[in-house]
Amino acid sequence: MSTAASALRDDRLPLNFTVNGRARSLRAEPRTHLGDVLRDTLDLTGTHLGCEHGICGACTVLLDGEPARACLTVSGACAGADITTIEGLDDDPVAGELRAAFNREHALQCGYCTPGMLIAARDLVLRLPDADERRIRAGLSGNLCRCTGYVGIVRAVRSVIAERRARGIGPTTGGQRGLGPVGARLGTSSGTASDAARTPLRPVAQAETAPSIADLDGDFVPAHRFDQSFTVAHPPDTVFALFGDVEAVAACLPGAMLTGQPNPDAVEGALQVRIGPIAARFRGRARIFRDEAARTGRILGAGSDAGGRSATQGEIRYRVGPGETPGTARIDLAVGYTLKGPLAQFGRPGLVRDLAGRLGADFAANLEARLSGAPAPAATGLNPLRLLLTMLTTSLRRRLAAWGRRP
Amino acid sequence: MKPARFAYERPGDLSALLARLATAEGSVKLMAGGQSLGPMLNLRLVEPDLVLDITGIPELRRASVEGETLVLGACITHADIEDGRVPDLTGGVMARVAMAIAYRPVRNRGTIGGSLVHADPAADWVTSLIALGAEVELASTSGRRRLALEDFVTGALDVALAPGEMLVAVRISALPPGTAWGYVKHCSKIGEFAHAIGAVRIEPHAGRGRVVIGAIERAPLVIPDASDLFGGRIGPDFAERFDARAADARLREAGMTDAVDRYVHVTVLGRAIAQAAAAPPSLTPTVSEAA
Repeated sequence: MSTAASALRDDRLPLNFTVNGRARSLRAEPRTHLGDVLRDTLDLTGTHLGCEHGICGACTVLLDGEPARACLTVSGACAGADITTIEGLDDDPVAGELRAAFNREHALQCGYCTPGMLIAARDLVLRLPDADERRIRAGLSGNLCRCTGYVGIVRAVRSVIAERRARGIGPTTGGQRGLGPVGARLGTSSGTASDAARTPLRPVAQAETAPSIADLDGDFVPAHRFDQSFTVAHPPDTVFALFGDVEAVAACLPGAMLTGQPNPDAVEGALQVRIGPIAARFRGRARIFRDEAARTGRILGAGSDAGGRSATQGEIRYRVGPGETPGTARIDLAVGYTLKGPLAQFGRPGLVRDLAGRLGADFAANLEARLSGAPAPAATGLNPLRLLLTMLTTSLRRRLAAWGRRP
Repeated sequence: MKPARFAYERPGDLSALLARLATAEGSVKLMAGGQSLGPMLNLRLVEPDLVLDITGIPELRRASVEGETLVLGACITHADIEDGRVPDLTGGVMARVAMAIAYRPVRNRGTIGGSLVHADPAADWVTSLIALGAEVELASTSGRRRLALEDFVTGALDVALAPGEMLVAVRISALPPGTAWGYVKHCSKIGEFAHAIGAVRIEPHAGRGRVVIGAIERAPLVIPDASDLFGGRIGPDFAERFDARAADARLREAGMTDAVDRYVHVTVLGRAIAQAAAAPPSLTPTVSEAA
């Protein structure tokens, strides 16, 4: 949540571009995408917004004459661009033929997808060599319609292509335009290189919205499981003894930080993880069980991220056994976890496994170093000290939300 | 579905951009076409303090041929490659990959550099350019370096960029004459991220073959010498000699435990190999589902 101060701060930037042939000057926040600028500032509500992450195609407009997603084009990125919306195609001959064909073939019902559909269809009419149904269907795959079943739409597009080619109008090649993203001007330094960016962007006060500490479900059944193992060049007894030292284990785990006083069977803390540009910080507590005789253990934990939108529960079972050569130990981990809330829509357990693999490798290296009496090597991504420093100086308010699969 | 606040700057030249990248406080994301970062911003999976738009920089929007190497600036779009606005030293291989990426409106803004830095394991360029043996050129205020793409992509969404460093260009060597190429991906819907990708680059007369298996939710599996997938020897009859069990074993070694997943990936790889054998070496197979 923004503080009052940041909510009131006006960080809109001047923006000049051409829309439907008319020069427009306005101000827009950097985070506002072109779809919202068109609809909310210029009242061009023919551009529809559906998924807002590039899948549905409802917001498709022309940038410099080529179709592009308005929802994935931030306002500043189209400074100087030539934008055409569905309203600007009233007198366009291809759009006119398509409107007639859509009408004739019953190619719309609710009409929500239609503006984007017409712009995508117009692009196909211009570019496809002939009225090949497969290529038309493939070309329209980035525009979703939930009413028509597409049959009428495809028929309409086919008929327009066939008629135009029959009239001797050939396809265009798109060969002449400049290189790089459509709508993006060269050289111009739009946006501001000064004030807004160089002032602290988020007040430190808002940085740590402490999440409530999640607790464990008694009847936890993990949705995802994976196994992992690694070896260290130290005897199993030494390794197992170290695993009993909660602070030592946390110090070896990149991104882990303990809060409060740990005791041998319960711990509170935070774990910051990164998957590419996504960063999440989970706070929670864990219970620890150890079986000295079998040299096995079980850690059962739950946490939620700072925004409180995602929660996780997990269980790590570990076993410390002898390695292949005497004096070495092999550690087998069985990890089970469940994600709830928006992060669950991330939907790609493999990415979590990959992350865990890399975390595990760092953990093993740090563990090895610690057992050898060396200071733990600075982790490449995160280490608790750097994490603490970062926390004191900048915002750590990072939340995770849904991430559907997308291109 | 609206991004959190961020500051936005659009430097006009590379030195200004690198200087800004080196000194900016807080979290900074570079943005090219925004077709990968945009959704993550909209979904608030990523909340940078500052977005630096790199599309205003002329150097990043150039394409050139240096000897036998094609050099593409980071901001060259998929559509630029699809439409042939950039030179080609791969016999149409790159255009064929480009034209099947996502959808045309995405290809008109999505860039080759952005795709590689985002390093989604299911993205087309990550796997196909590793198979082509591409290099990336990285720049920071302290200089430039080159890295083989397979060393640049270190994991799912993870690359070997140092702080203050950015990808400025991709370098792709010409495919030698007589090279057989196959690239097949499996998607349940056209334009979505692939569930399995197979890329093969085979020089039957030199007895060499390079195989890359992608969309495995980690960095692609690179088999630089794939002769053991072909019974120990690569020749003009490589397609008949493809040993699916050897490929399955490689995937199992790489940690793919699910037998169905392995089956899908091996099948897709087998199709890529069949495609490589069917297409005339180094000629443009232009047949595509995509438009």
